[in-house]
Amino acid sequence: MKIVARTFDAESTRLLASALAELATPCDLVVLCGDLGAGKTTFCQGFGRGLGVDDQITSPTFTLVRSYTGRLDLNHLDVYRLDQLGEVADLGLSELLDDDSVTLIEWGDQILPALPPDYLEVRLVLGDDDDERRIELTTMGHRWSARHRALSTAIAAWAAEDD
Amino acid sequence: MLILGIETATASAGCAIGGHEGVLAHASSGRGRRHAENLVPAIQFICAQAQIELSEISVVAVDVGPGLFTGLRVGIATAKSLAYALKVPMIGVPSLDLLAFPMRFTNRLIAAAIDARRGELYYAFYRQVPGGIQRIGDHQVGTPDDLASELLLSREEILLVGDGAHRYAETFEGMSRVELVDHGFSHPSANSLVQLAHARALREQFAQPDDVDPIYLRKPDAEINWVTRDRP
Repeated sequence: MKIVARTFDAESTRLLASALAELATPCDLVVLCGDLGAGKTTFCQGFGRGLGVDDQITSPTFTLVRSYTGRLDLNHLDVYRLDQLGEVADLGLSELLDDDSVTLIEWGDQILPALPPDYLEVRLVLGDDDDERRIELTTMGHRWSARHRALSTAIAAWAAEDD
Repeated sequence: MLILGIETATASAGCAIGGHEGVLAHASSGRGRRHAENLVPAIQFICAQAQIELSEISVVAVDVGPGLFTGLRVGIATAKSLAYALKVPMIGVPSLDLLAFPMRFTNRLIAAAIDARRGELYYAFYRQVPGGIQRIGDHQVGTPDDLASELLLSREEILLVGDGAHRYAETFEGMSRVELVDHGFSHPSANSLVQLAHARALREQFAQPDDVDPIYLRKPDAEINWVTRDRP
């Protein structure tokens, strides 16, 4: 089941992500999707803030993986430069997901066969205005679907109609 | 002949130097994720302890997994760099062989299992042979239940060793013919690596650095279907 929200600037996207991060538990996986410039890294910055990460979060497009220390550690991956599913294994994803940390993967929807069945999909869609974003949350697997109501509550301030 | 062994396939990591006289010096840490930071200082330490210059090393042996990718990358890259720099050959030994090797004095079937994370194990079966162990069948990846059913099917007395066996101990403890080896043997050791590599070196079973690759058992072999990226 999908939860839909709407934000009108980058900072409110960060605030929404930060609110979601409050619900994160060890070994969680969040899959981020949306076009280039949709705000995936912006979302990660807010999510990191919610996890208490002090370091500045930058795009990992060229480093592939960056890890940050917070209330829960955060692994931030971007698979945009990968060509083979096997390269996901080279990133040590299995260990990251088993490490009491939270993992966010930009473009994660492109590598679903290499991912476990439990994850939260966050889809960022460009809105009518330049800075407007429609944010769709979809829970996959019981780990996240058990938190469906809490997710709805956490982002109630930005709730939008599912149209 | 002096062999430097580097072992980083699990949360534990270690290095050892040895040859005809056995292991001369070794260092290991039981847990942690600082393989990259600790490995080279540890190699310097054991060289100093054994009063050996790196230039005296004639073979670099390395654990090629299966195991944890982060550790394997560090260990194999370090081993290859040293082999290139010293212009010496390499010997790659699978992690599960290293787990089974210290169990070589039993005539029971030996099952070695490494925690592959995400609810899975890397495992293989071994039997004692004169002077060592021999793997029976391939390295496998599967759930603890997969391994348990293989153990049941074998109808043999079995010694089960490895951190994978302990992580899922509740799956194996009730099995009548299976004995779990204690934690002291749960990780592949650099000492076993040097011993096994020595036996291979005597048979001149060397590899060139370019040919030493990690064993990736569950690497999917498919291209990512990039619709978005290829769009102009």
